Amino acid sequence: MTGGVLIEAKDLRVAYGKRMPDVINGISFTLRAGERLAVIGPNGCGKTTLLRALAGALPYRGSLLVTVTDAESSRRGKRRERRKMGQREAARETGLLSQLSSGWFAYTVRETVLLGRYARGSRSPLASPGRADTEAIDRAMAECGVLELSDELLSRLSGGQLQRVFLARAIAQEPSTLLLDEPTNHLDLKYQHGLIALAERWTAGGDRATIGVFHDLPLALRFADRIILMDGGEIADSGYPRDVLNGKEIDRVYGMPVADSIRSLLQNL
Amino acid sequence: MFVPPANLVAILASRLTGSPLPEGITALSAGVVWNLRIARVLLAFLAGAALAASGAVMQSVLRNPLASAYTLGVSSGASLGAGLVMLAGVSIPIAGAFALPFAGFASSLLAMAIVMGISRAIDPRLDNDTIILAGMVFSLFVSAILTLLSALSGQEMSRLMYWQMGSFALRGWEAVAVLAPVLACALAALMALSRELDILTFGEDEAASIGVPVRAVKPALVAVASALAGCTIAFTGVIGFLDLAVPHAVRQVFGPSHRRVIPFSALAGGTLMVVADLIARTMIPPLDLPVGAVTAILGAPFFAWVFFRSRRGRA
Repeated sequence: MTGGVLIEAKDLRVAYGKRMPDVINGISFTLRAGERLAVIGPNGCGKTTLLRALAGALPYRGSLLVTVTDAESSRRGKRRERRKMGQREAARETGLLSQLSSGWFAYTVRETVLLGRYARGSRSPLASPGRADTEAIDRAMAECGVLELSDELLSRLSGGQLQRVFLARAIAQEPSTLLLDEPTNHLDLKYQHGLIALAERWTAGGDRATIGVFHDLPLALRFADRIILMDGGEIADSGYPRDVLNGKEIDRVYGMPVADSIRSLLQNL
Repeated sequence: MFVPPANLVAILASRLTGSPLPEGITALSAGVVWNLRIARVLLAFLAGAALAASGAVMQSVLRNPLASAYTLGVSSGASLGAGLVMLAGVSIPIAGAFALPFAGFASSLLAMAIVMGISRAIDPRLDNDTIILAGMVFSLFVSAILTLLSALSGQEMSRLMYWQMGSFALRGWEAVAVLAPVLACALAALMALSRELDILTFGEDEAASIGVPVRAVKPALVAVASALAGCTIAFTGVIGFLDLAVPHAVRQVFGPSHRRVIPFSALAGGTLMVVADLIARTMIPPLDLPVGAVTAILGAPFFAWVFFRSRRGRA
């Protein structure tokens, strides 16, 4: 079940610097509400770069249209070009969980999640958080199972806990699209599945969507209802997860029979 | 010259209220207290506050515990600029008293721009470790130029060398009158950006995705921090390590949130600098040691401690 368009990329191109070659080489895709989209591909194919551009951390050429949610009526309205939106305005539509998120300052969990309210709350740096902010961060922390850690220092958390705190911060942003950059890296199996289940629950309402970048193909298969396979900054294949993983393109891109090797890995179980 | 505390109070009261000096206090001791000592203490406080606030911002924006005006080359850039003005005896007609701080300010920004330019050329992604490394290389290079200049400048040499080590002697009210408003404006700007500072400590991608316009805010913060350090250094010479150490200590006590880190770093930095200057002035009488030597002796071991701790943290 999918709804209206949230993000539409047309001939999207991204480079690190003006005279540098394009890392994203003109890709087009559409993300609809309710979708869980996985982006896969070998190292250096541009999947993380794509996510960073979607999050507004890198400039792009081409077109990236974002559907803007009206704050008052919470209705979806016009579609706007990402680069023409203010950074705060864009942050109300997309939230990012980056890979290897870290902070080396001793913020507490609650302080960290509260920073996710930057684009929503008061503009004054000295104002204390309002009721909407407090409710949103409590809800996000509860959803991610870190509410009981709220006064803990980040430096005392395990990798799995830390990742859930940063996810809570992205959820507290109340975006319409969550961007997850290899969210399960460095997590043990239990936390991997916990995080995937969390993202599924978050998307399940039908009016939000998630884009996840994955190295772990079985996990991508488990997570996504659509997969984009990238190669050299371009889309090599896309479609239903089973079709893409069993297709010809993926074997060429990875340089090995992908579906067969996954099956043989699990055969001994 | 020793002035008893009671006389000190009397001199201050007389200055502030405009009443005549009581019997038994010479105009000379009143002049020494007001023109030299009070001005010197105030200047030391302002300089310490400005350097510590600058260090706090550099560390947060570059996400590196070793970042400071000193390690980034801003200090040596500013001292080269101010040193050139001193040597040339350049007098800019309108600038007058502002020639020195302006030279410091301009050359600190220039130094930062050069360091950023070098870093960008080496690493287009502008990794923060690259910036620190480029800053240190630049700093060494500029210091060498300054040493060369001192050697070639003959009789000016000792003056330049002494000034390079940092001192509050013989600066007076002029410096206080320039630094105080600069510090006030900069602190106000930094407080207004305290939430952006908090968010930037988590990384630039995160900051952008949370809604901070990183490409505008980061250069602005670096410019404010460089200007604070540059203006100060132009008046006082290079005073290292304090800007590095104070923010760390403040974060330990008051937590990492910048709406506390900025004002408390300024307060603690100012206080510490006054104490360091007191030590410099009174440790080996009648010598007036350069305060930069005192802060370096106290601060260098601290620097090493932070360095090794952060190395262990990463491993």
